[in-house]
Amino acid sequence: MDEAVKTARMSAELHVPATLGALGDIAALVLRLAGSAGLGKGASYRIRLAVDELATNIVMHGYRGGDGRITVRGRSGPGRVQISIEDRAPAFDPVQGRLPPEPHTAPERRRIGGLGIHLALTSVDEFDYVRRDGRNISTLTVMAEGTDPCPPRP
Amino acid sequence: MPLSVSLSIEGDTTVIELEGELDAKTAPDFHQTIEKAAGHGTSTVEIRMAGVGYMASAGLRSLVFAQQKVGEHVTIKVVGAIEPVARTIRTAGLDRSVVLSDD
Repeated sequence: MDEAVKTARMSAELHVPATLGALGDIAALVLRLAGSAGLGKGASYRIRLAVDELATNIVMHGYRGGDGRITVRGRSGPGRVQISIEDRAPAFDPVQGRLPPEPHTAPERRRIGGLGIHLALTSVDEFDYVRRDGRNISTLTVMAEGTDPCPPRP
Repeated sequence: MPLSVSLSIEGDTTVIELEGELDAKTAPDFHQTIEKAAGHGTSTVEIRMAGVGYMASAGLRSLVFAQQKVGEHVTIKVVGAIEPVARTIRTAGLDRSVVLSDD
């Protein structure tokens, strides 16, 4: 059955307090953009997971539970979503802060911190980070599956 | 989306059933139930996840916490996880300590 997926270009911007309570609003925005880009379930899940992990990291470790704001900007085109996440917490490059899993370590001794960043970076097709004007800016891109080689495997 | 968590005993198995989304906001509810499950002393803790449509790394932390709480002699089974959730568990290498099962 040939089902044409309607896609639309869309851009959106969201300013939220850096709290766990804001994660739902961020996810809703990301999923809306993914829908307008015509991403399938798998690619939509990947972009949501990546943005969620980076936002959670900003809340928990960037601002360390203190006051702060997160700005999420996104745009979608056919088969492609790009999201940027900005914060004013201390400089943090996710690529440098990535900690790969330790599958051979016993669970009781396993370090679990940093895995969220690893998950985020292995879920996207492109990732870029810059520190500019006192802001961390991470930009993530996910493409519809089948339009590009598979994302990097861990 | 909230997470609903239920706990029951079936023979020698403690069953935790999750439904909803497991992320940094909802994981504390799961942790509370894990604490209760650890007190039951069964040989298996079965975590039914078919109703979990989304899991972030906070869910991985919960699984590690669960293994630490119940001890290494207790088997933790994760049952019915959808593919992206199972992939997240495999990415973290946790499929070496918990048993991933379709049913």
